[in-house]
Amino acid sequence: MTDSVPTPSVQIVRGEIQPWTDYSGYRAPAGGEPLLALLDDLVPASSARVLIAGPHAVALVELVAARAAALTVLVRSVSDAQDLRAAVPAGHITVITGALDGLVDVPPFDVVIAADGLDRVLGADSPALDWPARWGELRRLAAEDALVLVAVENEFALTGLYDRRPVDARHGDDEWRPLHDDPARPTSPRQVAEALGERVTRLYATFDAAGVSHTLLDAAAAGSARPGRPGARFAVTGLAASAAHTPLLGPVADGVDAAARAGLLAAVAPGWLAVLGSGGAIHTAYAAVESSVLLADLDESEWTLSVRGDSSFGTPARLPDTESVETLFFRLAAAEDVPGFRALAARLGEWAGLGDGVILLDDLYPEGGEFVRGLTRPAGDDAAAALLAAAYHRLRDRLLRAHRRHPWPPWMTSTDDLVVTWLSMSGISDNSGAVKRGREIADGLAEPAGDEPDLRTVLADAAGDRQRATELAGKVFGLERTMRFRDQSLRTREQQIRTMRDELRKLRNSPAMRLHQVTLKVAKVRHPRAFARALKRRILKS
Amino acid sequence: MHHHNFYYGQQHILARYCGLDDEFPPRIPGYLQHGWNVGCGWNPVHEFFDGAWRYVWSDAPRRRGHSLGRRDYAVTGAPMLYLMDLEPDLGRVPEASRAGTLWFLFHGWDAPGMGAKIHGDHARLISEIKETETEPVTISLYYTEYERAEVRRSYEEAGFEVICFGKRGWNYEGTDRQFLYKQLKAFRKFKRVASNRLATAIFYGVAAGCEPAVYGDPMELEGDNPLFGGQTRIARLWGEMLGKDIDLATARAITDDELGRAWVMPPAELRMLFDWNQRD
Repeated sequence: MTDSVPTPSVQIVRGEIQPWTDYSGYRAPAGGEPLLALLDDLVPASSARVLIAGPHAVALVELVAARAAALTVLVRSVSDAQDLRAAVPAGHITVITGALDGLVDVPPFDVVIAADGLDRVLGADSPALDWPARWGELRRLAAEDALVLVAVENEFALTGLYDRRPVDARHGDDEWRPLHDDPARPTSPRQVAEALGERVTRLYATFDAAGVSHTLLDAAAAGSARPGRPGARFAVTGLAASAAHTPLLGPVADGVDAAARAGLLAAVAPGWLAVLGSGGAIHTAYAAVESSVLLADLDESEWTLSVRGDSSFGTPARLPDTESVETLFFRLAAAEDVPGFRALAARLGEWAGLGDGVILLDDLYPEGGEFVRGLTRPAGDDAAAALLAAAYHRLRDRLLRAHRRHPWPPWMTSTDDLVVTWLSMSGISDNSGAVKRGREIADGLAEPAGDEPDLRTVLADAAGDRQRATELAGKVFGLERTMRFRDQSLRTREQQIRTMRDELRKLRNSPAMRLHQVTLKVAKVRHPRAFARALKRRILKS
Repeated sequence: MHHHNFYYGQQHILARYCGLDDEFPPRIPGYLQHGWNVGCGWNPVHEFFDGAWRYVWSDAPRRRGHSLGRRDYAVTGAPMLYLMDLEPDLGRVPEASRAGTLWFLFHGWDAPGMGAKIHGDHARLISEIKETETEPVTISLYYTEYERAEVRRSYEEAGFEVICFGKRGWNYEGTDRQFLYKQLKAFRKFKRVASNRLATAIFYGVAAGCEPAVYGDPMELEGDNPLFGGQTRIARLWGEMLGKDIDLATARAITDDELGRAWVMPPAELRMLFDWNQRD
């Protein structure tokens, strides 16, 4: 069945691949805290034979190894197997390199984990097995009543639909065969459930950051999540984590809202993780928060939250299943309902819990006359005014970045005027210090920007630039028109001056003016008698 | 594009198949696979120019190359299959008249100032051949071994006929353009083809109607690069092609895969693939 390879403790079966790695490429091996937390809950404390198929993080292997009498790890890359062997040298762990279909003649396993999915289990020399055939190979290795975890990458994920790369450039060097152009591949929660059979006991919509688990959300809960509600926020933050590693045509957040309205959030997740068989009790959702994992359970009207290993979070906390304050603000802004916006801002300004920590409006939920903080609760001990200013700075950033409708002119949005306005709506005026500090807090909360702006943003920016150019041209036109009026005005005045000069000249030459001049000269005569005699003599001579 | 394309006169055969001059064949805009290969079509350290296409015999090297980040592959099928199409009667004898074993010794390689020799126990191999083969054996040595008198003599003294099909050439010089013609002609009169390693000649022989066998000391090649897994990988992937009695139907199916029979294309298509049509 197996051969030895240069590293003695690694076994080899047909279909290995080298040179190759699944551990340091564009997609990490399956891992991440939420996935580890799920496995911690699910995998029995003790199992006889466990198989991990495909690339999985060392931490995951160690977690499972601690609960297995014998653990077999199958990876297709020879060098990955050797590195993994070095990282997990325990004697009850067997590391095998080769393809899934090459692992034959082994007793069935009690627990089978393929949390990386079935897309990285074959080599370039393997037969062209479609997804059901690969699933058949995995199922072949599992005992009849085995606990099986298998992940499925979703071809219909929003991150895929919004991916701006051409189809032939999305999967790196993995696609020596077009795995993703497989008509038999399940591409919806229903298809996954049908493909895996009746033993499926739970299906999670999974959200990962290039292979590292970020959020696991029960598919049924995701399907019933409405826009702006906590369930949708799980999906939004998860998709944002996935989208950060994908060059996009547009922000996925728009699509998330539409999918949530359609009840299709589970259908557009980047993938699914199915649990077949039974294990320990598990939660509705697992989500990465800072360095820990948020655990969430949903009953009919509210969520119950706790943070793994953190009793300070709450005991446990509860959360109403209502629309977030940000969703309400966005809706009011889009409707240009400034009075409504003002009323909500005023309510927020009066909220007693304002100073209890950093406020994330997209994770703040109204309940009666009050508000309840949501899934993430960043620490912050600033004054209430600065915390609210930070919330408004963030609201402004997200409003503009998503190109949402709103009633405010650009000279307000491009400065702090908008935040100052909203603060005043909340009853906080003339507090430039809070506005400044709020900006700093908001910058600290900003989501990591993608490597490049998405295409829609680029186009919107270009359209904005064209609009600005048009408006500037309008201003130039207006100024030129003003100058033309001024020119006309100056010409009119000059004409008036010339006319006056002509009239003056005519006046100077008139008999009356001449008489006036003579009169002036006469008036200058000092000795009238002598002047009269001289005048008489001149007249007599002539 | 690259002088390897001339090896064994493969480029010449393809030019002839396309109805073009096979004495001075037109250039191929890339690299043509010149031997069966467990990797991407070429040796692990082969140099490639950007923009050059890679013409391989079958889909497996394309897939392996893809995994190495290489693109611009075109699968053509092996030139030997085109030669068989061009020369349907060359060397052909009635099926019942086919006799003997054409036995290929795994060979070293050559290049001015470079190359690698094989090392192994020839006497032991000769004993095993004698124990196995029931009909006359003709040993085919590549010229690198044929010209090593101690190697050639050991097989001649064992009573085998020893032949050499010629040189593949280097830098467009010394290529025996009839290399594959001579091989094809020989294959068609032998009943069996055998070797101490699964190699190109076995697949050619099977394609020409021989029964295959792969056995005996595979010998060591100086500086053999195990990057693609070496002989143990061959045993895992092509185990059905190893042994003294190999199922012929299975061998033919594998041979068709490895030589890319399904990929053989008509001359007009091949001319376009090689950009051999006059554009003026």
